[in-house]
Amino acid sequence: MSKISRRDFLKIASAASAAGVLGQASLARAAESSKGSARVVVVGGGFGGATCAKYLRRLDPGIAVTLVEPNAKYITCPFSNLVLGGLRTMDSITQGYDALRKKHGVNVMHDTVTAIDAAGKKVTLKSGKSLSYDRLVVSPGIDFKWGAIEGYDEKASNVMPHAWKAGPQTVLLQKKLKAMKDGGTFIMVAPANPFRCPPGPYERASMVAHYLKEHKPKSKILILDAKDDFSKKGLFMAAWEKLYPGMIEWVPAAKGGTVKSVDTKKMIVDAALEKHKADVVNVIPPQSAGTIALASGLADDKGWCPVDPKTFESKLHPGVHVIGDSAIAGALPKSGFAASSEAKMCAAAIVTMFKGGTPAENSLVNTCYSMIAPKYAISVAGVYRVSDKGIVQIEGSGGVSPKDAPDSFREEEAKYTFGWYQSITADIWG
Amino acid sequence: MQFKNHTLALLLGAALVGCATEPPPAPAKATAPASAVVAPAPVAVAPSPPPTPAAVVNMVNNCFSCHGTDGRSPGTIPSLTNQKPQQAALVLKEFKSGARASTVMARHAKGYTDVELEAIANYIGNLK
Repeated sequence: MSKISRRDFLKIASAASAAGVLGQASLARAAESSKGSARVVVVGGGFGGATCAKYLRRLDPGIAVTLVEPNAKYITCPFSNLVLGGLRTMDSITQGYDALRKKHGVNVMHDTVTAIDAAGKKVTLKSGKSLSYDRLVVSPGIDFKWGAIEGYDEKASNVMPHAWKAGPQTVLLQKKLKAMKDGGTFIMVAPANPFRCPPGPYERASMVAHYLKEHKPKSKILILDAKDDFSKKGLFMAAWEKLYPGMIEWVPAAKGGTVKSVDTKKMIVDAALEKHKADVVNVIPPQSAGTIALASGLADDKGWCPVDPKTFESKLHPGVHVIGDSAIAGALPKSGFAASSEAKMCAAAIVTMFKGGTPAENSLVNTCYSMIAPKYAISVAGVYRVSDKGIVQIEGSGGVSPKDAPDSFREEEAKYTFGWYQSITADIWG
Repeated sequence: MQFKNHTLALLLGAALVGCATEPPPAPAKATAPASAVVAPAPVAVAPSPPPTPAAVVNMVNNCFSCHGTDGRSPGTIPSLTNQKPQQAALVLKEFKSGARASTVMARHAKGYTDVELEAIANYIGNLK
């Protein structure tokens, strides 16, 4: 197997993925030793990484794609708020990698990238293996700035869950909500911009309110916010007044919403003007690019990764592309949809660059739905293009759902919210 | 499935190659005969450069996030399959003008020139 052609590699790869005759390690070796086929390693199997792996193979089945993702299953942040609301189960928001392997011929390795050698074009894995690449795509999502809020470190998240990476944290927050007494106080600490999923905290407050209204109607939700505005604010606040009157209080930064510290023993949240005692606290901490992006010098001094908006190639390390929440993507929000759109554009750019061409002028898209109640949802959308000033929203496009829409409009968007999840997860992991 | 899509992309590339090889430097010089392949638009067609085949594939790939891979939706959002290019172009332009009611499609359609909508429609009109 020391020298195999690109065609042979493809045969081997597809035979291996169809029949499982070769282990992943053998596949990786086959990829490394095949001089003919271009090799792309993708770091992270979330909305950005999984999309990029699949669409690279769709656009050019001759490219050998290896996806490195630590977890055997991926639990999506989108719809994790619906789990808290009792509308979905954890199982229903769990995605796997079988289709990427078997249908699309992606070599999926459940391992962790511990180092990136951009000059030597290889990555080192926790298992001790290393993978060589021609181009690397890094899509590690976000990590938290532990300690930015005094008293809130990783250990504190066992008491005051962030649940901003879906999984055990989501389950923990749900457990605490279920254990809360009727008449209790749920406090959410919301971060300043930029952070993952701008409307997410407010969808979560809505879903928690839906749960409390059904099971513990005397309870209160207090949102302590480090900013004075938020995504779809007018629509959220109108819906809260209509559906959950008197239940949700939002405290902006200007009115003392910024939280300085938390005390997990006493369950106290210390905001700018007063201390608040709570029964359940959800701290959504300040964030940065994923750890591997920080550790490998892909981020700037603010903790996010500057990229060429046409290709999402890092401005700091050539040959390495950064997509999704970690990247600085101009006007595009840090959403799962945007990550997937960036991934498709990045995949197309890589395919073109391998062929020696110039990446096409492309547009990017975002569509985010927020569930406020089972039959009440709102959306924000946008179409974006690459300009001299980076990625900008195309004038006249996008925006939020209309303000004075009938209930039937909100219900239709709720119907499409469920369709959105089904479609986008199938488009990425199916 | 991916091979079929690939073929479609190639076909589309061949169909559009006449207008894609010479991207005009300024909108005023655009000579795209795109209106020849679709029904007359309900709104005035502003002259603008036609998208390259690769750009069209990328735009349509973005549609797939909601409408399903290759336009086949697994859920409540309509599929894009079994439409004729002319019909698809008309629907997209009506979303853009507001003549056709929608929840989110008007907000999307307004992000594209009429020439781009026609190219998108030509692609999805050939999805099976």
